[in-house]
Amino acid sequence: MTNYKLTDADFKQINKRSLFGFQLGWNYERMQGSGYLYTILPQLRKIYGDGTPELKEMMKTHTQFFNTSNFFNTIITGIDLAIEEKDGIAGKDAVSGIKAGLMGPFAAIGDSIFASLVPAIFGALAATMARNNNPVGIFIWIIAQILIMVFRWVQLKFAYKQGVELVTTMQDQLNAITDAASLLGVFMVGAMVASMINIKIAYTPNIGGVATSIQNILDTILPGLVPAALVGFVYWILGKKGMTSTKAIWLVLILCVVLSALGIIGKAH
Amino acid sequence: MQWWQILILTIYAGYEILDELQIYSSLSSPVAAGLISGIVMGDVKTGLFIGGSMQLTVLGVGTFGGASRIDATTGTILATAFASSIGMKPELAISTLAVPVASLMVQLDVLARFANTYFAHRIDKNIENFDYKAIERNFLMGAGPWALSRAIPVFLALAFGGNLVKTVVDWLNTDVKWLADGLSVAGAALPAVGFAILLRYLPVKQHFPYLILGFILTTLLSTVFTNVQTLGTGLAAADKKFAGTFNSLPMLAIALIGLALALISYSQHRSGGGSKPSSSSSNSNTVDDSNEEEIEDDEL
Repeated sequence: MTNYKLTDADFKQINKRSLFGFQLGWNYERMQGSGYLYTILPQLRKIYGDGTPELKEMMKTHTQFFNTSNFFNTIITGIDLAIEEKDGIAGKDAVSGIKAGLMGPFAAIGDSIFASLVPAIFGALAATMARNNNPVGIFIWIIAQILIMVFRWVQLKFAYKQGVELVTTMQDQLNAITDAASLLGVFMVGAMVASMINIKIAYTPNIGGVATSIQNILDTILPGLVPAALVGFVYWILGKKGMTSTKAIWLVLILCVVLSALGIIGKAH
Repeated sequence: MQWWQILILTIYAGYEILDELQIYSSLSSPVAAGLISGIVMGDVKTGLFIGGSMQLTVLGVGTFGGASRIDATTGTILATAFASSIGMKPELAISTLAVPVASLMVQLDVLARFANTYFAHRIDKNIENFDYKAIERNFLMGAGPWALSRAIPVFLALAFGGNLVKTVVDWLNTDVKWLADGLSVAGAALPAVGFAILLRYLPVKQHFPYLILGFILTTLLSTVFTNVQTLGTGLAAADKKFAGTFNSLPMLAIALIGLALALISYSQHRSGGGSKPSSSSSNSNTVDDSNEEEIEDDEL
């Protein structure tokens, strides 16, 4: 711990790294994990000091699985750094909890607004004009995106200030917030399981000369049983000794190709 | 096709995905790809038409939670290039090139995301050695798989001509259709791994009722929304006087229900903490315990 206080130059550096480098390392195992570390690495070095065991511990913590909207990630970064700057390694659990708790909700809000709604509105406008041989809509969209970049730039310092307040004056509320955020995270995982895994049972055996859709029968019990079972299965195998997420991905990949080739499962949409 | 046209389109293909991942200037959108390819090929009208059509095709298709999605941008680049150089009709280029290429490119997106796992593991080693420069280098090198996953196929397709593109697309869609189908099923199923990992991190045992709630609300509502859509489309086809627009389930609405539940829990937690500090602290201890437990589980 060096009692380092973040300066405007630090915020500028984090924002630059976030805007131009946050997702380059995206991978199936940790998703934005290494990107999170990359954006705050210079600041972590200043807070903990080079070569200290605390720095190693926190670098490891920050390469763990992380995935959120890249339009909101610096809000989490801001709160995180406010805590680490004050509490150092003692804030590790709070930081991990806040990261895990907030990434889901921000992913959901960010994805629906900035990855879905904005492209849908401006994309529709630009596409309709383009089909009439008019490129103006494309430039309108670019201007909108530049305004969004400004928004992404200013949120870091805002979140940092809130984060400082959070840890200095509302220490006891932090647990309540972490708890509520992780509740929302769990809720959203449930929602995402139901909406984003688009597979179904394609197998339709002939029973008494009638083609019977297994998926229809399952749907009368509960829609979405197949995705839920798949997530439950992966959750279970992830708890097995020697199982890594990469192995789990390969397993799901091979399983899907085999089951699909046998005509047992298929895509839902 | 001139060599410089191939070069510029290859560089653009590598750049567009990095743009989308980073600043998101919308230059990675199919409609912008149509404009840029059109300018490079000297046929802006064709480019705008193909780009605009592809944009409409993927309207509302967002990237969610790192899932791969149909790559209409690369499809637009190739379709525009071949439509204007071979003299294909834009409509034909869309159906024979843009759409198949766009869906095939999903596999390469998956590959790039896989390849970057390698760099994540190198970073783990760099952390052990306090090699800060190497951490940053290995992170930035992730740009390689991303850019190459778009640039290489675009270069190969443009350099070796539309016949190769057609042959590969046909081969995957006929002889090894099972493989192409299986890979797209896997693409649809892979988010499950991400969700399962996430559940290993979150205090799922403590909040299990909310997992059920989130799942059931969404699965029931999306069934209702999808069925109403199907019904509406059917009615509109049967009766021209029937008018109405039907949208799919807005995920923001589901997120807001979750937010309301979280806010209720927050205010209860806080007021409970004010009047009975002992129960609150024991409560928060269990939060921390389960948090730790989940994270340790995942490290196995």
